[in-house]
Amino acid sequence: MDLNALGACLATPACVVTQTTSGLIVGMLLFLVAAGLTLIFGVLKVVNFAHGTFYMLGGYVAYSTLGVTDSYALAVLSGALAMALFGVLFERLLISRVYGSNVLMQLLICYAVVLIFDDVVKIVWGPEFHAMGMPPAFQVPPLFIAGGVVPPFYAALIGIAALIAIVLGLGLSLTRLGKTVRAAAINPQMVSALGVNTTLLFAIVFAVGGALAGLAGALAAPVRSLSPGMGFSILIESFIVTVIGGMGSIAGALVSALVIGLVRGFGTIGFPQFTDGLIYIVMIVILLLRPQGLFGRAS
Amino acid sequence: MKDRPAALRDTAIAAIALIVVLAIPLLHRSPAFEDFIIRLSAMALFATSLNLLVGNTGMVSFGHGMFYGFSAYAFALTMQMTDLSLPVAAVLAIAITTFASLCVGAICVRLSTDYFAFITLAVQMLFYSVIISWQSLTGGDQGLRGGIPRREIFGFELSSQLHLYQFCAVVAVLGLLALRHISQSPFGQTLRMIRDNETRASFVGVVLWRARLWAFTIAGAFAGLGGVLAALFVSGAYPELADWPNSGQAIFAVMLGGINSFLGPVVGAAILLALNDVVNRFTEYYGLVLGIVILAFALGLRRGVLDFLRLAWPKGVK
Amino acid sequence: MSGTITRRNVLAGGAAGLLAAPWVAKAQANTLRIGMQSILSGPIALLGTSSRNSLMMEQDRINAAGGFLGRQIEFVFRDSKGQPQEAARVARELVNSTGCELLVDAEASSASFAVQEVVRDLGVACIHTNSETSSLTADPKIRVATAFRVARQGVHDAVAGSIYLADYANAKKLDKWATCSPDYAYGRDTTAQYLQFFKKFKPDVEIITEAWPKLGQPDFTEVITKLIQAKPQALFTLLYAGDLSAFVNQGNVYALFSQMTVATPNVDYPVLAAIKNLPAGIQSATRYLETFPDTPANKEWGQAYLKKWNERPTNWSWQNSLAMHFYEAAIKKANTLDGKALAAALTGMKINTPFGADGTITMRDDHTTIGYAIGWGQTTPKEPFIIDVKPADWGKIIELETEWKKQQNYI
Repeated sequence: MDLNALGACLATPACVVTQTTSGLIVGMLLFLVAAGLTLIFGVLKVVNFAHGTFYMLGGYVAYSTLGVTDSYALAVLSGALAMALFGVLFERLLISRVYGSNVLMQLLICYAVVLIFDDVVKIVWGPEFHAMGMPPAFQVPPLFIAGGVVPPFYAALIGIAALIAIVLGLGLSLTRLGKTVRAAAINPQMVSALGVNTTLLFAIVFAVGGALAGLAGALAAPVRSLSPGMGFSILIESFIVTVIGGMGSIAGALVSALVIGLVRGFGTIGFPQFTDGLIYIVMIVILLLRPQGLFGRAS
Repeated sequence: MKDRPAALRDTAIAAIALIVVLAIPLLHRSPAFEDFIIRLSAMALFATSLNLLVGNTGMVSFGHGMFYGFSAYAFALTMQMTDLSLPVAAVLAIAITTFASLCVGAICVRLSTDYFAFITLAVQMLFYSVIISWQSLTGGDQGLRGGIPRREIFGFELSSQLHLYQFCAVVAVLGLLALRHISQSPFGQTLRMIRDNETRASFVGVVLWRARLWAFTIAGAFAGLGGVLAALFVSGAYPELADWPNSGQAIFAVMLGGINSFLGPVVGAAILLALNDVVNRFTEYYGLVLGIVILAFALGLRRGVLDFLRLAWPKGVK
Repeated sequence: MSGTITRRNVLAGGAAGLLAAPWVAKAQANTLRIGMQSILSGPIALLGTSSRNSLMMEQDRINAAGGFLGRQIEFVFRDSKGQPQEAARVARELVNSTGCELLVDAEASSASFAVQEVVRDLGVACIHTNSETSSLTADPKIRVATAFRVARQGVHDAVAGSIYLADYANAKKLDKWATCSPDYAYGRDTTAQYLQFFKKFKPDVEIITEAWPKLGQPDFTEVITKLIQAKPQALFTLLYAGDLSAFVNQGNVYALFSQMTVATPNVDYPVLAAIKNLPAGIQSATRYLETFPDTPANKEWGQAYLKKWNERPTNWSWQNSLAMHFYEAAIKKANTLDGKALAAALTGMKINTPFGADGTITMRDDHTTIGYAIGWGQTTPKEPFIIDVKPADWGKIIELETEWKKQQNYI
């Protein structure tokens, strides 16, 4: 524990700017993944334990697309779209068979998919790690804001994620589809009785959820290593985010993802070896005091 | 209620099973099979204790592995740091684990199902990160090194694989018999009543949280017994024993074998361990094979093996 | 309830039959099976795959020359994913089920201790090829009669590295250092060793901050920014393989490498190739280098590996080859595969090998090797990737290692 260092950092604007940026980038990428997870749970009441696999596949697809087309934009887009498609297939072929079942059945199916695709990735791309490399446009020195370091690539990512958060939020509250989705989250039978094609709706929700995770994977790929099984740690983190923020709440996912990002950013200075433990304690406290999460609906 | 004959029948089956298992090495020595039984003993206790919560009480715990691992560490540390004999160390480890599960349970049981699952997971992850961080005590990610001193117990020399096999078989059968007894007792029936309709149960006068806490504590204790056997197998204790994928393994064992059958978790554990052994010899893509098998169970059979068999050939009332 | 008994018996009988099949002991074939276990997937898969590559080369070479004791050898590879629990199971399975008569343990340090306990129980001969944590052989409580290590040792590297780095730091006036190492046994122990010796050779060094990311963590951003805030003049890091690649890529985003000199013992060829924007001038140990030692034998081995696998050897590659060289010599000497006899042959054995600093490597009484090529130089993006290599002084290494062992109460 190094509280002196933490105090020193908080007192320096440069440090605050730098660590906040790093916290934001970690948080925003986490939000993209968690948003998909919470959306799927909110509407379908399914805990998608395979969500990390979407993230991983999104990254790998982007990597391959880059190899073929040399365009980062296409790579990212392909990652998101491929995962939208994968999400639909996953929902139609597997998840739809266990709606209403024991949560353990869902866990079983999701876990099976994780196992299978970790090996598929090993077979297709090889067991060793891959690095995608930074887009040439972003191979520039970092910006200095108030003495703190802000890399343009991360600033761009934060911007994109924030944009998506806004679009998602507005989409859910203003568009007809969004309102239908929210209604289905509260009362699926009623929505179906009103003539809405819930099959299509559920497929769309999984497509969007998957696309978000895939997008996060593709966006992060230039700086993170790609390897089979990389979805595992992302899954745990996004799971924690959704529990703390409230299963089913996009706003909750955003807030808690940012909180966790910042806890990591500053925690690594104050509690370098126990940052994980800190986050688990937060999760336990929330579950004891407000089990539905910060923004969740009490059931 | 026909308690006495049912209990006798259970004991008879246990005795026969034990005799069969003990007889096998006398006919044919196979170190691989003996390893399998040793590992199965630990995992069978672990998974069956979990089913006391999941199948019997309807409490889905994602963090059960923490008691398995806690006990393994407690036992291994006691053996390494003190001169206590094995049975004393084992009993001590299980006692500490039972106390720990009482404490954790006291915090968790009041939450409703989904949140109960999450909070048990969070507590387990916290426990795991403590194990990893507290290196001076636990050895961190390497686990406890140097092995468990091979001391004698009742004439069993545990450095001999045969004796370890016999010891584990005896402990597992006795442990499962005890769990069976608990499951068939009025307390067990209370748990199942809570699982089926907790409102009715509380109208009948059952104090829900207290029954759940008892179930959680007992489950933790038996998981601890399994943990002791696991520690003996690897001659130490490793963080993976307390990590949540291990809890996941227990859940899969329960689901694959049958959540509504007492021996379901044992069968499921046997299936998982056997797959682990066999598949790894033929391909390095163990995950692919296991994933397909699990999908076959989940989508095809839609229930565990013993549950499926019971539905396919229903005879008599459970 | 007779129905239940019948069903249960049928199930039990059927299951027993099905399950018994794989475990009925196979008849002893003439092939000599050698078990190898390692990390074959995940961010550090390079460790296992490059080990496996070497062993397959050795298998071909040894079989072409007649095998061991007239029997052709066959490797059995297993992936333990680096988990100690699984590593223990795998080791037992290799010996008990698959009938392996020798073990090559290519696990990283955390799992190697688990394998050590299995070897202690089973008494089979085992050579650890990748575990660098000194206590595996240095600590008499952990040492096992039939287990040996041919991997470079943390404490040797620490002495050699700190002598070089102290010289370099004094020359360039780099007094403020930071460390960033993976938070597990190898990372902690080896960093501590480096710092201990570094302070000995450069007493005015100041470690202003330490970062401890988790092994395999995807994002090092908060660690990188923490390091940048601290403004060290130089950074010492033990990150390797996929982690090092991610760290470099993420560090480039923050222009980390222009703000401090970086020193690491762990830059392997394939990692250099995979990192797209590798900065030059990283001070690095020679993990494997075709030009160090600069002998025809070494070059030939390196070229053969490159030709067969289309990638360059790593540190782990030569270590596994060395294990087979030792087995070869020991089996010839002892004329048996028995664990105890091989152990007697291996102890104190000195063999000729391309990887020795002077063409030879010796297996000491405490079951670990000395005399292998250690050097430090700096990276460059083109062949041979590490230049200006200065070889280490083995006399000094052994002197300080002995001191360290006394300090730890190992001797």
